Amino acid sequence: MDRHRLLKLLLLFIFTALIARAAYLQILNGDYYYQLSEGNRTSVRPINAPRGKIYDSRGEVIVSNRLTYNLYLMQNEIPPASSVKNILAKLASLSSLSENRLLSNLSSSAQQSVAEPVLLARHLQKKDMVIIAENKDILPGLLVKESSLRDYIYPEYLVHATGYIGEINRNELVSFTKQGYDYSGGDFVGKSGLEKEYEFYLDGKNGAEQIEVNSLGEKIKTIGIKQPISGDSLVLNVNFKLQKSAEEILQKNYQALRKAAAADEDRPMPTGAAAVVLNVKNGAVLAAASLPDYNLNLFAKGISNADYKKLINDPLRPMVNRYIMSAVPPGSIFKLVTGTAAMKELGVKGDTTFYDSNGRFYIPNWSRPFRNWNPYGEGKLDFIKSIARSNNIVFYELGYELYKEFKGEKLAEYAQKYGLGSKAGIDLPGEKSGLVPTDQWKKNNLDQGWYPGDSVNLSIGQGSLLTTPIQIADLIATVANEGKSYQPQLVDKIIDSQGNLVKDIKPLLNIDLSQEIDQNIFKTLKQGMHDVVNKNYGTAYRHFKKFPITVAGKTGTAQTSGSANHGWFGGFAPYQNPEIAVVVLIENSGSSAYSIPIAREIMAYYFGLRNYNNSAAKVYYYSQQEDIYQPE
Amino acid sequence: MNWNRKFLRNLNVNVPLLVIALIIIGFLAISSAVEINHNSPGAMAFLKKQAVSIGLGLLVIFILQAFDYRIFKEYAAFIYVFMLLLLSSTLFLGRTVAGGKRWLSLGSFNLQTAELAKIMLVLVLAAVIDSYSDDMGYLKVMFLPSIIAFIPFCLVILQNDLGTALVLFFIYLIMLFAGGGNLKYMLILFGGGFLIVVLIIAAHLVIDTPLPYLQEYQLNRLIVFINPNIDPHGSGYNIIQSKIALGSGRVIGKGLFAGTQNQLNFLPEKHTDFIFSVIGEEFGFIGTFFVITLFLLLLWQFLKIAENARDRYGYLVVVGIMAMFLFHILENIGMTMGIMPITGIPLPFISYGGTFMLTSLIAVGVVININLRKKKLMF
Repeated sequence: MDRHRLLKLLLLFIFTALIARAAYLQILNGDYYYQLSEGNRTSVRPINAPRGKIYDSRGEVIVSNRLTYNLYLMQNEIPPASSVKNILAKLASLSSLSENRLLSNLSSSAQQSVAEPVLLARHLQKKDMVIIAENKDILPGLLVKESSLRDYIYPEYLVHATGYIGEINRNELVSFTKQGYDYSGGDFVGKSGLEKEYEFYLDGKNGAEQIEVNSLGEKIKTIGIKQPISGDSLVLNVNFKLQKSAEEILQKNYQALRKAAAADEDRPMPTGAAAVVLNVKNGAVLAAASLPDYNLNLFAKGISNADYKKLINDPLRPMVNRYIMSAVPPGSIFKLVTGTAAMKELGVKGDTTFYDSNGRFYIPNWSRPFRNWNPYGEGKLDFIKSIARSNNIVFYELGYELYKEFKGEKLAEYAQKYGLGSKAGIDLPGEKSGLVPTDQWKKNNLDQGWYPGDSVNLSIGQGSLLTTPIQIADLIATVANEGKSYQPQLVDKIIDSQGNLVKDIKPLLNIDLSQEIDQNIFKTLKQGMHDVVNKNYGTAYRHFKKFPITVAGKTGTAQTSGSANHGWFGGFAPYQNPEIAVVVLIENSGSSAYSIPIAREIMAYYFGLRNYNNSAAKVYYYSQQEDIYQPE
Repeated sequence: MNWNRKFLRNLNVNVPLLVIALIIIGFLAISSAVEINHNSPGAMAFLKKQAVSIGLGLLVIFILQAFDYRIFKEYAAFIYVFMLLLLSSTLFLGRTVAGGKRWLSLGSFNLQTAELAKIMLVLVLAAVIDSYSDDMGYLKVMFLPSIIAFIPFCLVILQNDLGTALVLFFIYLIMLFAGGGNLKYMLILFGGGFLIVVLIIAAHLVIDTPLPYLQEYQLNRLIVFINPNIDPHGSGYNIIQSKIALGSGRVIGKGLFAGTQNQLNFLPEKHTDFIFSVIGEEFGFIGTFFVITLFLLLLWQFLKIAENARDRYGYLVVVGIMAMFLFHILENIGMTMGIMPITGIPLPFISYGGTFMLTSLIAVGVVININLRKKKLMF
């Protein structure tokens, strides 16, 4: 029976096909379908964790969180009869939410399974929440959940250090995930400042409620709850009262200078300012200000494109944190470095005498003189007085002597010993390392050899040398501590939401010259700095007259090519037992004389000298030369 | 009465054993599908009704053995007229359920007449083909069984029951083939017919020509069979959920009553059309392999019984019954696994549903009857 055999073959063929198909679905693709069935039956409702707070050293909250509500779409909680598109269209027609926006949020969602929530809208308005609640029946699958919004108690203070937050971008998501952190699209992360530096502490771990749903999207039971973990909080070294005061002092002076410059076209227009107050005993950053700045509230809900463009395109670059990013020549403050090298390498002592006959210094075979800021010649002066007078002629000579003996090497080496040319290591992203020019650097970058004039220029902190205010603060602290300084730290410790210590950030000694450089050398430098402020011939004397605390410091007016001089002052106090170092920089202000009173006012606030007033502290207009002092 | 105790020696015990095994598996699967573990309302009633159908079916099997199957050949014309009356009365008197009149109320028992028509068609077609078996090579002889099959086919189509109509067609096709129908003509007729159907559907889809006899939802089933993701919450939903259920059972299954697709109602029609998905989800590949193998063994036994049937009529009846089961198995299991379009036809012995269970058991009873009266072995 031929046909009967064919029937048998048909039977075998059909059943083999069925078994093969079953094997394909259940063995080869079983895991895939298993995942799908799990995704089917669960819905993962988000529980948002708040970001950590930021406290100042006195325990005052300066950055906190506000309650806000987000709207999520839970696709597995929608009955099969309703479609997502219809629900969103209905929602848009009832509420103030735009349908296009909802649809674009839906399509850009990074959810990996339909069990996961899709963030449809942030920061719901009250009336929309009421509408959603009242129309629950016709708007299935919508979930309103608490979330948090950055709340800046003082949105215009400590702006650059705090930093701003924004929605995580693709690169961050990839990189954070690779580092083993749990992030998902739509999360807000720190983009600058401490918010970025301490992102992995500040970020809260979102929780979730996993529920079992049936085919109608109805909740059957809760499978499990992952509790959210609040982000850890930062306790700063910054004393917010001092910070606020320092910012106001800096702002007041900076704006006065800008106003005066606007009124008088002969006066230079300052383009930015920075001030740093360091605790020299441990590196704690007690206050740090950078101007101009911006309002942090712009970023709390995610900044608009227009606002962001405005900030980015502002010629004064308000987003630049000047105390770590403004790398400019330090001018005469660098004489502390030149002086160290001269004493150590050339055997110069405090009483070594020099002679400045006419305010000019010549190097052999070079006809153009190097000039002092004082064109008249200051006659005989010892080394300490030459610091107090900030006499360029003396330091030109020392620079030239160092050149003769060591070419370009020694001065650069001492600069590096003080930490110049490398990051101070403050706990902020984006710090600039500045530049200490060496023979090698010049050869590589300018294709030129090191000339004696380079050493002479460098000796007074000019030329290609670039330093940031935080580096200069470190330099001042190192001298004040006679060879030791600590890495600048904004954060003192990290605590969890219950207040338990998570991480104690201990002072880190990062410069220690006390072994290789004799203490007397530092004592001589300090004596010079003391005389800058306290001798009637000192370049900062007039500004600190009758100041009840003994202050030591160094002025610096750095020439720039093409624009007005930068004005520096770096000082420490009290002289006998240094507590703080204060550095003030005003870009393109013309002279250090505008920076000195700012440092004095900050010190007055720090030492509680509320009634101290110095009429000499009025802002005059000084010549654009060096630290001009007119003998009374 | 025609009964001889010697007949019992002929019994192929594999058939009743395999049928009982399938019925037990089906009973377990239905228990899970109606969520007896949750004491869901009506669950017990489903099981009771199914048990009554099984009991009734078994009773019919025993009663059937008292007659010689050749009585069906003698009364073929009578059976045929009765079948047509039954089908057409359903069209006029039947209850409308889900867009089709398929049910005839007999007291408290609702009869799906098209189900009974399957077995009746087998008995009638076998008689016709057997009478003309020597001349089946001629086109005009092939014409008679074709007309015989075509009339009930149309009546069932009018009931809007495409699935059952296709079963009738498949039975006719296999019986004609086994009965010696001219292969050349069959190929031209059915191949051509298939081509025309495909062309009509294609024309409807492309240039929107009217579609005779095919409802829109049936067309949708066909389209989503080709790509279920076109409409995952609508017509494609059943296929997607069924594949997820089956696949997620993996090798050993999630365990009885532990299938999430089943128990959380993601599976549609799970106690009837998609019962095999429940088996796949809860017993895994081991379960599906086992059930498919049981079916293969059963139909294999049928073919063996057919070979040994005493006469050509018996042979054709068993092959026809085999064809009916084969199409049900292929279509139902294939549908749950996404390799056949969705038509609502049940899985024999396993799906919930009284009339088809009864029909299946009657069919088994007929096969056993032919088995018991097989040809005498010549020694």
